[in-house]
Amino acid sequence: MINLYFRKLTNILLCICLCFFMLLLTGCWDRTEINDLALVLGTGIDKTDDNKIQLSVQLSIPKAMGGTQQGTGGGGSGKPTIVKKATGSTIYDAMSRLQEKVSRKIFWGHNRVVIFGEALAKDGIRKDIDFFARHPEPRLRAYTFVSTGKAIDILEVIPELERSSAEIARELANFKIGMSVTVKDLLQMLNSGADSAALPWLEINPTEGLRVNGTAVFKKDKMKGSINDKLTRGLLWLRDDVHLATVTIEPKNTKGSISFNLLRSKTKLVPKIVDGKWQMIAKITTEDDAVENDTALNLMDPKIVKDLEKQLAQRINQRIRMTLNLVQKDMRIDVFGFGEAFHRKYPNEWEKVKGHWSEKFPEIEVKIDSKAHIRRPGMSTEPQGIPKNEVKK
Amino acid sequence: MIEKSRISSFQMAIMMYPTILATAILLVPSITGKFAERDMWLSPILASSIGFLNVFLAVQLNKLYPKMTLIEYSEKIIGLIPGKILGFAYLFFYLQTNGIVFREYGEFVVGNFLSKTPMIVVIGSMALVCAFSVRGGAEVIARSAQIFVPLVVILLLFIFILLVPDLEPKNMFPIMDKGIMPSFMGSVVPASWFSEYTLIAFLLPFLHDRGKGLKWGFISVFTVMITMVVTNMSALFLFGSITDSFTYPVMSAARYIDVADFLQHLESIVMAIWVAGTFVKISVFYYALVLGTAQWLNMSDYRTLVLPLGFLLVIFSLWTAPNLIEMVHYLTTTWVFNALTMQVAIPILLLILGKIRRKRGTKVGSTRND
Repeated sequence: MINLYFRKLTNILLCICLCFFMLLLTGCWDRTEINDLALVLGTGIDKTDDNKIQLSVQLSIPKAMGGTQQGTGGGGSGKPTIVKKATGSTIYDAMSRLQEKVSRKIFWGHNRVVIFGEALAKDGIRKDIDFFARHPEPRLRAYTFVSTGKAIDILEVIPELERSSAEIARELANFKIGMSVTVKDLLQMLNSGADSAALPWLEINPTEGLRVNGTAVFKKDKMKGSINDKLTRGLLWLRDDVHLATVTIEPKNTKGSISFNLLRSKTKLVPKIVDGKWQMIAKITTEDDAVENDTALNLMDPKIVKDLEKQLAQRINQRIRMTLNLVQKDMRIDVFGFGEAFHRKYPNEWEKVKGHWSEKFPEIEVKIDSKAHIRRPGMSTEPQGIPKNEVKK
Repeated sequence: MIEKSRISSFQMAIMMYPTILATAILLVPSITGKFAERDMWLSPILASSIGFLNVFLAVQLNKLYPKMTLIEYSEKIIGLIPGKILGFAYLFFYLQTNGIVFREYGEFVVGNFLSKTPMIVVIGSMALVCAFSVRGGAEVIARSAQIFVPLVVILLLFIFILLVPDLEPKNMFPIMDKGIMPSFMGSVVPASWFSEYTLIAFLLPFLHDRGKGLKWGFISVFTVMITMVVTNMSALFLFGSITDSFTYPVMSAARYIDVADFLQHLESIVMAIWVAGTFVKISVFYYALVLGTAQWLNMSDYRTLVLPLGFLLVIFSLWTAPNLIEMVHYLTTTWVFNALTMQVAIPILLLILGKIRRKRGTKVGSTRND
């Protein structure tokens, strides 16, 4: 009997013990309530006059964020985000100063964009990128940009369509119209033997808001210059980063122009060393659909389409040549990944030129072998809006 | 016999899978990458040869002394006193190694998730859970492995599949541009992980289908190798030349996943893989240690040793190294020699001596029969 009673007692004690263990499951010392967090949506890094860093963060205001979804209520009372700034010698140092002004714990887990100010980019970004790869909160997926003027101005833009300017920047990078570079990609570029990097160039247009307009070109970690939108296309073609593009050509022997929507494209860089001469053959194939035709050309005519395909390919060639002339010949910075391609195919030869790649790089002869395929004429066959007899055959 | 439950060789194989892999997919890719660079996916293949060798050794030794563990037959092979000394060396080795495993677990959890939680809480709670499973015996560990391992494999596959859109296979070229040496150097540390297959010497006596031990042992080594190749490849394809600059490349890779803007922040999955895997890993080591100690002391039951040794393990985990840097340094230098001596060289010697002894024994026996 006593034995049975004793067993019952131990069972009860065990139950109490087990209940007590549940307290351990709640996340221990690192418990944080969501309403104690200030979520960073975007980060801007600028240089101050005394060579320190000015860190600006865009924080979300949960109250306003919820309000936009419900529609009713305040009716757009207040901004959904605020921008706070602080200076320090490192990012984390600046952040601790920033924390003094923010009542909630700054949380980096949702930081989607990192924007470098122009002055800082010219000075070198290496020392500021480490934080985003070392601290456990920020993500390597955050997109990086260089801004005209100060990065904080970009964060302070009040957007119309999206909730925050950081969101705009992220969406723009996601479209891949221009360069789209994550922290991981940037680290890879800086680590590669080519010693160069290219980041999208973000600018504020007083009437239109934010815009990705071209590319900032880096030698090592210092920004050396920028190229415009048009030349960026050439860069994207060579880097095999073209995802969303419209190509408009003005066909010969007729008036008007035709627009094509790019479906997919593939670029293959084939390095070759022939008799000590370094060559790079860029093989580009693209597939397009016609979406607009204001010429009198009949897009159902195989002959015409064949001719158009040739002109399309030529157009791509032109774009790439323009970019090469500036970036390869003038700037002498290898942002195309030529170095990597040579390293992969000719590791021994690469070993020899690695040290003076920036001298070797401009000497490389680039051959462009592009092929365009027009797959479909769209939903119409002959050009719309003109009499049948005026259609060119 | 001290352990009464029996397990199947399939269960042994499934227990050993996380025992090697759990810690090997976190710290090791970075260490391998440091030496092998873009040939890091080759290293586990080279390293697995040690695993195959170890399984073979353990099975051969087990054939000589079918009902005994490493601690028991080393006394038979090299005599009582030297055997006891060797046994103590093994027990101490497993005590320290398991301490390191605990520490790796603690470092990872504290470093990535619970940065303000004292490490002893993280390690202590794991030690407590493992103590329960060790107290339950080999069968309990085997059954919990049967539940956890499929989960671990599925979650790992889930992560690899979600990573596919971001992978760039061209990162692996040029293959072996500096010869085989870099990948060979990179395979040394994983090889010391594979040498942990010696632990099956503590499990083989309790198999009810001992004939299949070798087959399932080899299958287990092979699956571990494949998994390590896939993990290293996915880290390499994603990060390329910067793989070795991350402390936990697989963890960083999982954090990079972003599918369709909503499937993201998946590091908790890595955490789940890690906790489930380490639980089995620590349990197997813990079990070998407890069982070995009981046999070394000629005790009739090992259960009383579970908790005291657990305390010792927690303390060892804190003593192992002052910080992560020292621990990684230890794992790439001393530990390699330590592990390969204890788990490869000594078993080879034991097998040779055992074979000689057996031959002499049979000769003596046959002359007697005449």
